[in-house]
Amino acid sequence: MLWVDKYRPRILDKMIVHEEVAQNLKKLVSEQDCPHLLFYGPPGSGKKTLIMALLKEMFGPAAEKVKLEQKAWKIDAGTRTIELELAMLASTHHVELNPSDAGFQDRYIVQEIIKEMAKNRPIDSKGKKGFKVLVLNEVDKLSKEAQHSLRRTMEKYSASCRLILCCSSSSRVTEAVRSRCLNIRVNAPSAEEIVKVLEFIAKKESIQLPPEFAARIAVQSCRSLRRAILSFETCRVQQYPFVMNQAIPPMDWEQYVSEIASDIMKEQSPKRLFQVRGKIYELLVNCIPPEIILKVKLLSELLKKLDAELKHEVCHWAAYYEHRMRLGQKAIFHIEAFIAKFMSIYKEFLIATFG
Amino acid sequence: MICKSKPTKTQSKTSDSKEKLLEKEVQVSLLSKKTAAKYSQSSISSQKKKENFADLLTWTEKYRPKVPNDIVGNQSIVKQLHDWLAHWHDEFLHKKNKAISKKQPDGLAKKAVLISGTPGIGKSTSAMLVSQMLGFHVTEVNASDNRGKADAKIIKGVGGNTSNSIKELIGNEALSESKDWSKYAKSVLIMDEVDGMSAGDRGGVADLIASIKTTKIPIICICNDRYSQKLKSLVNYCMLLNFRKPTKQQMAKRLLQIAHAEGIEVNEIALEELAERVNGDMRMALNQLQYMSLSQSVIKYDDVRERLLSSAKDEDISPFTAVDKLFDFKGGRMRMDERIDLSMSDPDLVPLIVQENYINYRPASVGKDDNGIKRMNTIARAADSIGDGDIINVQIRRFRQWQLSQAGSLASSIIPAAFMHGNRETLEPGERNYNRFGGWLGKNSTLGKNLRLLEDAHIHILASQTSNVDRETLRIDYWSHLVKQLTDPLRIMPKDAAVQKVVEFMDTYSLSQEDLDTIVEISKFQGHPSPMDGIQPAVKAALTKAYKQGSSLRVVKTADLINLPGLKKAPKKRIAALLEPVETGLGEENDDALLENEEEGSNSEETDIAFNQTGDKKPQLDLLTDNRKGMEVQLDLKNEEGKSSGWKTTPASKARGSRSSEKGGRSGSSGSKRKR
Repeated sequence: MLWVDKYRPRILDKMIVHEEVAQNLKKLVSEQDCPHLLFYGPPGSGKKTLIMALLKEMFGPAAEKVKLEQKAWKIDAGTRTIELELAMLASTHHVELNPSDAGFQDRYIVQEIIKEMAKNRPIDSKGKKGFKVLVLNEVDKLSKEAQHSLRRTMEKYSASCRLILCCSSSSRVTEAVRSRCLNIRVNAPSAEEIVKVLEFIAKKESIQLPPEFAARIAVQSCRSLRRAILSFETCRVQQYPFVMNQAIPPMDWEQYVSEIASDIMKEQSPKRLFQVRGKIYELLVNCIPPEIILKVKLLSELLKKLDAELKHEVCHWAAYYEHRMRLGQKAIFHIEAFIAKFMSIYKEFLIATFG
Repeated sequence: MICKSKPTKTQSKTSDSKEKLLEKEVQVSLLSKKTAAKYSQSSISSQKKKENFADLLTWTEKYRPKVPNDIVGNQSIVKQLHDWLAHWHDEFLHKKNKAISKKQPDGLAKKAVLISGTPGIGKSTSAMLVSQMLGFHVTEVNASDNRGKADAKIIKGVGGNTSNSIKELIGNEALSESKDWSKYAKSVLIMDEVDGMSAGDRGGVADLIASIKTTKIPIICICNDRYSQKLKSLVNYCMLLNFRKPTKQQMAKRLLQIAHAEGIEVNEIALEELAERVNGDMRMALNQLQYMSLSQSVIKYDDVRERLLSSAKDEDISPFTAVDKLFDFKGGRMRMDERIDLSMSDPDLVPLIVQENYINYRPASVGKDDNGIKRMNTIARAADSIGDGDIINVQIRRFRQWQLSQAGSLASSIIPAAFMHGNRETLEPGERNYNRFGGWLGKNSTLGKNLRLLEDAHIHILASQTSNVDRETLRIDYWSHLVKQLTDPLRIMPKDAAVQKVVEFMDTYSLSQEDLDTIVEISKFQGHPSPMDGIQPAVKAALTKAYKQGSSLRVVKTADLINLPGLKKAPKKRIAALLEPVETGLGEENDDALLENEEEGSNSEETDIAFNQTGDKKPQLDLLTDNRKGMEVQLDLKNEEGKSSGWKTTPASKARGSRSSEKGGRSGSSGSKRKR
């Protein structure tokens, strides 16, 4: 088993990072009930871990016994019947699913599943909860319509189910939904916290981890604990005992994006743009989400190599095209437009500066 | 009606006897008989009356040919049709004769005929005229008739609708000798617009074919496109007659006669131009001529030209041609409506081809451009506009804002083309200097496939219950690590140990071999070595073998992947063989919990086996065994029968034994379920 999964804290008390949040959550559910919750925070900060631990706190070990179900929904939407298939993880007390997987029909899923859960309300006996918990992942990717229908059902069925929403950015969750939940921000762990976790793992695995090396891993992980642990394990596999200047291997796709970035910096021509398009396609086909390519990686790689005076403008355009990408459907068009824009700006700058 | 135009002319064309015959026919015929009959009578009477009546008719009706010889062009085909119809009864009804005279050419031996050709060149007219001339009673059914039940009036059929009456009509030749049919010697069925016939129309083509097989009257089918998919089966049962477009000279000649008859001054060149513009469609030519005659009595070449430029028939342009034209060096001179026409010729494909190729053009609008800055700027603006087009497209499709479609094609094709039009140049050595097909479609479908594979692997990982990641995180964070875990040992460690380690890892995450392929496949980047490189084929084979050996144990782990009944995807064979899907289908709360326990138990048991096999004391496995003990307690509480049937057996040392015990457990527990 990978270390990330192996050393994932299972109960709230064992949390190393977000200790305070964990304790608050514990107090929250000690009353045998809880409000709707919205966890938000960057990837790798521990939202899911907190949620699972919270569920365990609420329902005991039964919450851990989940079963995967590939459930088909038949939804009667007025004139037609919509058939949808969605994977969900369910225990006796909770159901977890990714409604945004249903694409633009997510609205029906949200309505239907909550209704169904309201129907099969567990019986309140032997200390069992009188409600079920529905964990919805990636609510920020839900369409506006789905979020609107969510807010109605949240109130209507609040007696029989609690929602735990999980997303990386609360800004894409509508105000209405946010105000109906207790918002819990899960920060990205600081570098020190990451080091702490790495040291904890090192101790358990009884390996020597030089503090400087741990710090380097923490820095390179961009404050994602998951990524830090994964690359820690990769390094362990690669070379042990650790040496001071050991390289921390980047992710395959990150490396590829860096190459693209340096391609763009080296030459700005139609020909290069065409080659870059091929590479971007390659990334997209390999299931790397376009937002991540554009926003998280490509931009930061470009910024690293850019002169200070251009940074502001380039950031502006990256944001501009990212927004358009969300409005549109064919991501490559917008990434390409960004690259073309960048090439044009950068080329102009180069010629103005160096003649 | 012909008589109206110029009696002298028609007489010159048709012999007296024919005229008489026609007169008779016209009176007899059901179709347009009233007007025709009235007209032929009135033609002898006063001129004024004629004039009044003529105003009511469009020219296409007024000058519809009255005898087969009047038809413009295709005379040989009309003759063929005539021969076929004339011999039909000898051929098919009086079999004795037929047996003797078997010298007939093959084409004539078919019971039906299929006339094809572009619209407006006289197919229906010829069929009608030939039938009438041979003294047939004509029943015309066209696609637009079929659906209505009111059509019963055409022939009073048994069930009151067309389909029944047709059946009756073709079935009962005898009828023609009796009852109200008696006054018609013979009948012919004309099926017009058969290519417009759909399944809703009396069983469509299949029914028509059945009719042809049994028919006792001749059937004439008419269509525009003989190669239509719908007619594939029909063509085998029909004699094929293809009407060709008449030449412009032929058409002009006829048009001239009509123009004279109507008192319009027009020269032959103008009419030839008209004939060319309408692309052989006589009906359209006449309509245009009549329309023009309303405003002017003298029609010149230029008038024709001007009028028809806008109303020219839409020609089919391939999206490539459209893109070529848009990006042409002289593309800047095109008018806006021409550009819209081009880009709308295929509003889905044209933008894709534009997007694929716009970088290849050296924009003509950019003059002197030393360092390529201007070109780069132009490309950026074009790319921007293409992005706009995509956004508009989303609005159109998702929110059904179809009124935006012109704006969409403007943004996605016309503006980029306006920026970039110029000479095309190649960007890669060896590339052909032609527009490529849009790459997006292919890439998108590959992406779809990969996402599906990724989702499969994702579900397997979720099913293993070791991890609870979402799909995106799985790809972004876990993926490269998984690749390393799965391939690195194979490269560096000795074969057996490596294989064992990898299989073990795959089992922990319940990855199947397909998932392994997926993981490798989705990690491939162009220009980077494949993760599988450097692994000996022997090692790969050993891996496959080792995995297959253990596969019987894995069944339970992936068992929860069984699809619920009523789903498209067929369950995987090995799962289906070992588990009755009913188990997951039946779903009481308690039973579900039980099932989970079962799975949980078997999972841990499996790891135990792995543990024993490796003999390698790892802390992670210890954790798992602890876990298992916890499980046992639970089972004791919940399922007493299950307990007895072997969950508690000490970790089996051999796969064989453990599997049987597992099976026992399964059957025991399902038995307990049934008791409840």
